[in-house]
Amino acid sequence: MTATEGFKRHGDHSYIAQFADSEKEVLLNLCEQIIELLAERTDHGHDDPLAAMVGITSHDSPPEDEVLHRLLPNAYADAVDASEFRRYTESTLRQKKQAHAISMRIHLKSSDDGTVDLDHESANAWLGAINDIRLALGVRLKVENSSREELELLAPDDPLRGVYAVYTWLGWLQETLLSALIDDADEDEEAQLGNS
Amino acid sequence: MVKTADKIEEEIRAIFSGDTPWVTIVWDDPVNLQTYVVYVFMELFGYSKARATELMLQVHNDGKAIVSTGSREEMEHDVARLHEYGLWATLQRGDQL
Repeated sequence: MTATEGFKRHGDHSYIAQFADSEKEVLLNLCEQIIELLAERTDHGHDDPLAAMVGITSHDSPPEDEVLHRLLPNAYADAVDASEFRRYTESTLRQKKQAHAISMRIHLKSSDDGTVDLDHESANAWLGAINDIRLALGVRLKVENSSREELELLAPDDPLRGVYAVYTWLGWLQETLLSALIDDADEDEEAQLGNS
Repeated sequence: MVKTADKIEEEIRAIFSGDTPWVTIVWDDPVNLQTYVVYVFMELFGYSKARATELMLQVHNDGKAIVSTGSREEMEHDVARLHEYGLWATLQRGDQL
């Protein structure tokens, strides 16, 4: 099967892409990794079941793992405010991110021929999930401190070379979905202006 | 359009009533695509493409931009939604910028 051409818009609020088996495998694998990574952070042995039930976590400091730290960042520069906010919101944030990746996984798994058809809401879930995967790969690639030239010149036997290829491919895929979505939003905006 | 006018009025009221407004700041990140940042601003805040693009460029060029203003609770909500979509955001009091 041929490589995907990315997402294309089909009528209003429908975005379709067809993936080759190998591409589907890569995407599924990355989804699983994000879901697992976020699950590692799940609260273990919560002292207070009621607190756990309403989403208060035992975590009041940022994750030590660099990738998790980027996915679950502090909301305040002030450490006390940041940890208070984290206690009340981190588990919800983790669940939402997992839900994005799970939605992407379900679409891929339920497609026999590699075609996925997304509505607006699931397109947003895909964007969020792809972005989380890119953020995770970006941390591993140290995108923060490396220039694009340095990354493009990685030696053929450097394991990061493959990671960088996936990272740029995901960026391209995300871009195709975005341009389809923004096309739609442009038309809606024009229609609104036309009506007013 | 109505939304924006309401929002401005609300902010002005907050300033005159002595309630210090809080702000949501988005910080530059080398991973997030420019188009993605524009789309998230449009989607979460209902900004026009032009306004969202202007804010994205400000983040890119200045390293950060204020993307919304309001009460502390509203800004906590905005930051949580931005984190959900992987943007690097924080909130703080508007008078401590």
